Amino acid sequence: MSLHAVFLEELERDALTELVNIGVSRAASSLRKMVGEQVLLSVPSVEVVSREGAATLIRERENGELVAVRQDFEGVFSGRALLIFPQANSMALVHAVTGGALSVGEAAEMEDEALVETGNVVLNSCLATMANMLKKPLQMSLPQVMRGDGEALFSLSGQHADGGVVLFLYINFAINDRDIRGYIAMLMDLPSLQALRALIHDFIERVAGDIG
Amino acid sequence: MVTTVLIVDDSKLARIVVGKTLAALQPEWRRLEASGADEAIALFDSEQIDLVILDFNMPGRDGLELAEELRGRFPDMPIAVATANVQDEIIARARAANAAFIAKPVTEDGMRGFVSGAALRLRSAGR
Amino acid sequence: MTQLVDTVSSDAREPAAARERLRIAQMAAGAGAVGAWEWDIASARVVADARFASLYGLDPAAAALGLPTSSFFETVFAPDRMRLKIAVAGALNGAEVFSRDYRVVVDGDIRWVSARGRTYLDAEERPVRFSGVLADITDQKRVEERLRIAQAAGGIGTFQYLSGFGTVDVSDEFCRLLGLHAAHSLPVRTINAVVRPGDPPLISGREDQTPLGPTVHEFRIARADTGEERWLACRGEYQAAPTGGISFIGAIYDVTATKQAESRLRALAAALEARIEVSTQERDRIWNLSRDLLSISGRDGIYRAINPAWTQLLGYDAADLVGVTMGGLVHPDDWDDAVAQTAGIRDGGSVADFDCRVRAKDGDYRCINWTAVVEGEFIYAVGRDVTQRKALEDQLRQSQKMEAVGQLTGGLAHDFNNMLTGILGGIDMVRRRLAEGRMEDADRFLEAAMQSGQRAAALTHRLLAFSRRQSLDSRPLDVRTLVGSMEDLLNRTLGEQVRLATEVADDVWTAVADDNQLESAILNLAINARDAMPRGGRLTIAARNVQLSAAELSKSDHATPGDYVEIRVTDTGLGMAPDVLGKVFDPFFTTKPLGQGTGLGLSMIYGFVQQSRGHIDIQSREGAGTTIRLFLPRHRGELEQAVDDGEGVIHAGAGETVLVVEDDPGVRLLVVQVLEELGYNAIETESGRDATPILQSSRAIDLMISDVGLPGLNGRQLAEIAREGRPGLPILFMTGYAEQAADQAAFLDDGMEIITKPFAIDQLARRIGAILERARKV
Repeated sequence: MSLHAVFLEELERDALTELVNIGVSRAASSLRKMVGEQVLLSVPSVEVVSREGAATLIRERENGELVAVRQDFEGVFSGRALLIFPQANSMALVHAVTGGALSVGEAAEMEDEALVETGNVVLNSCLATMANMLKKPLQMSLPQVMRGDGEALFSLSGQHADGGVVLFLYINFAINDRDIRGYIAMLMDLPSLQALRALIHDFIERVAGDIG
Repeated sequence: MVTTVLIVDDSKLARIVVGKTLAALQPEWRRLEASGADEAIALFDSEQIDLVILDFNMPGRDGLELAEELRGRFPDMPIAVATANVQDEIIARARAANAAFIAKPVTEDGMRGFVSGAALRLRSAGR
Repeated sequence: MTQLVDTVSSDAREPAAARERLRIAQMAAGAGAVGAWEWDIASARVVADARFASLYGLDPAAAALGLPTSSFFETVFAPDRMRLKIAVAGALNGAEVFSRDYRVVVDGDIRWVSARGRTYLDAEERPVRFSGVLADITDQKRVEERLRIAQAAGGIGTFQYLSGFGTVDVSDEFCRLLGLHAAHSLPVRTINAVVRPGDPPLISGREDQTPLGPTVHEFRIARADTGEERWLACRGEYQAAPTGGISFIGAIYDVTATKQAESRLRALAAALEARIEVSTQERDRIWNLSRDLLSISGRDGIYRAINPAWTQLLGYDAADLVGVTMGGLVHPDDWDDAVAQTAGIRDGGSVADFDCRVRAKDGDYRCINWTAVVEGEFIYAVGRDVTQRKALEDQLRQSQKMEAVGQLTGGLAHDFNNMLTGILGGIDMVRRRLAEGRMEDADRFLEAAMQSGQRAAALTHRLLAFSRRQSLDSRPLDVRTLVGSMEDLLNRTLGEQVRLATEVADDVWTAVADDNQLESAILNLAINARDAMPRGGRLTIAARNVQLSAAELSKSDHATPGDYVEIRVTDTGLGMAPDVLGKVFDPFFTTKPLGQGTGLGLSMIYGFVQQSRGHIDIQSREGAGTTIRLFLPRHRGELEQAVDDGEGVIHAGAGETVLVVEDDPGVRLLVVQVLEELGYNAIETESGRDATPILQSSRAIDLMISDVGLPGLNGRQLAEIAREGRPGLPILFMTGYAEQAADQAAFLDDGMEIITKPFAIDQLARRIGAILERARKV
């Protein structure tokens, strides 16, 4: 499972984890504002795994149908960010996000839209923060909703037939007082990982110089 | 004369949230909504619009492109770009187009600065 | 919406305020065991309490007033420093969660510390303050490490669960035992999903249903990664948690081996007798009902037991065979093979897929396919009756030959008519000349008739030899002679459009193969070649000596590296596409239209070559002809000299008496005439019935010449009668075509010979002379 030793050294991994940590913290803060509740985050996990491996990681934790908001990003490095939660949580999340703004009927009608907007805000804040830290701009696609099991969510559009190895970052979050939990995941293929690696080195150098 | 604000966002939910936040800050303002850049431009032909709040990430032309076009036509109109895409580059472009930047999710606190500034400017311009 | 971001008051940058917050943090942490720090981002200063200063080896007074942020890293163990810096960089840039274990070096002493912190943001979400607590975890690390090693070594996974929570804190080994990826915490659902449905769940967190105290239970899981079923045991204890609810802390370990051993033992104990009975019954059932011959013999080769199939198939019962040596029933012709096959068996070898003929009680032979193994003191053999299969194989081979004959017939009829025209025309011309009294050129016509007759004889001979029904009989074989003898036949077969060239090396070795089969193979190949050249072309038949290496024989089943005679048949025809080429050796594959070929041609040739321990190779390109090469093993030793009837002195007779038995009056007349002209005394009979009284009389007879195919008693039976009263009587059989001729050795006893029709008068005279000459010498 842990192929990262081959691709990322410990420091690089630490740095990447920290970058994700920063991005996700910002995302959690956004989510917190949207739902008006405490959002709890786990320590992020960064692994280089096969696509199936990524799907297995999620499947071990969630065996039901999943719903995800997906946003592809492009720049010096490219990939896909996913906000994933169990399908069973979908309406609860919509309700939390729309709060009193919508009636129950309206909320049901707007389920997908609410998911898209939530994903848009959460993923954008995460990715934008990471881009700022790395000092390289990223273009973000329009978000879209996907439903299916882990495998369906993690197949990168099919054009990347690179042996299926991906950089898989994930963090799980839970919304206090509501039975809502989910994951923020990022998938990158190997060329992107190489590009990202160079940026991480810059980041490490800055850190080494800036602090203490 | 009633102040008219145009909210442009492809997400209906986002328009509702922005509208609700605006209503809390400026209850008397008239609020118009458009779901995209083209629809917004069309509204400018038929309506008197005093200020706009634009979403950045939209299908077709994005909020910054629309802001730049509107800035060309209305050099003094208050414009805000709302997005969760808080990249330095995006914020810099918004500034370049003389538009305010509002971070999504939109909150009263986040919007207060822009709204009160705009109200002040519109009043001093004699509206 | 509620704003939950902590806002920072104006006194945030005051060390005094920071100290106060640190005091509160200390209180919250419960004891003086942890140190606390507060890092002010704008001023880049760290304020720390006395405990932190002590853990870090800092001056407590200076720490309380604030130190440069570099002091946060100075005493950190060098290998951990960069990682800590990166984590702090995250926190300073807004990462909420800060959690890192690292080592500090104080007075040369390395200690493990655990730092937990968080970042506070201002109203604009800019990080302003980063603070946390630090604990000495050196002892904990040491214990953890020991525990980890012990757990991994013992295969023990540990867990801690607090009721009401959705997740369980677990150890790496815990995850490994369930086949899950290593994690610090796992959802309860994920853990219980691995447990086999129906078995008790690993974690049952229902507070009201679980009595407090120790608990042990066992359950089966399907490992999450492999699906493999394992037995696990869980030992744990339910306790009232200090924070309310209950906690469940415990360990799991794999008990599959124990479970399996247990169930095996139980199964063994319970079913031992039943199993013995069942297996005995099974064995008996197989023994009694099998249609295959089953036998058990000692290593001495003596039958100890045979099954009832022997009675059904061969007519023997146990009383006939038990105590008798194996092999006594093998057909004499298969004896050598059987000895070779069974040579190794007494030393623990085995026999597989060996065919040999076995004599039934009624004298018939059945073809049996044998498998035999040695185990302990006994040889166990299984024999399957393959007579039917063999017969079918023979039929197929025969039908294939007849097919080729059929192919020939058209051309042959034409040729025969030509030859008959030559013979009849020649004789007719001589008769006219006789009638006219003109004798001068009669000889020329007779000579022409003779030649036509001889050609016809040669053709018939080959044809008969070819269509003879016989099994594969590998013998030393002169390829040069064989190819030469076929030229005539081939030329007729190929027709005028196809030119035949033969290129046989002068020094070509003697090969070992069945000559009939080789002829058949060459003829079939020639016919195929002809059909592949509808607009004519050239067919080359060549032979030469080659040496084949193991690499060249890599696709061969039987051939071994060494000397071979290569027979190459090349045409200039249409050739074959690669997909066709790949299938040509398949039985029933044919490129010919339906009804024009059985499709057995090449597969039969393949079979023949394989059986001859040779090798076959085919090369073909579409439009560029086909080359087939047959490699036959070289014969080591002398080639038996064929009996040559063409040369030698004709002995004149000296009044010896010769009994002639021949039903055909023409042949009889001829033979008697020759005998009398040579000076023998001939007794003329036309059947065995006529000849028997003469043989049983006291008349002196020096030689019997008999046709084989006689009405009533055949020639061979008559010979038996003759030899009863006259044991040494020389006998010469004449035969046109008889199956027996195929196997002269079996047919002929001492002092018996055979001459095939048609024969020249000189030939007959020489044979008779030679036989009587030898008889005189005895």
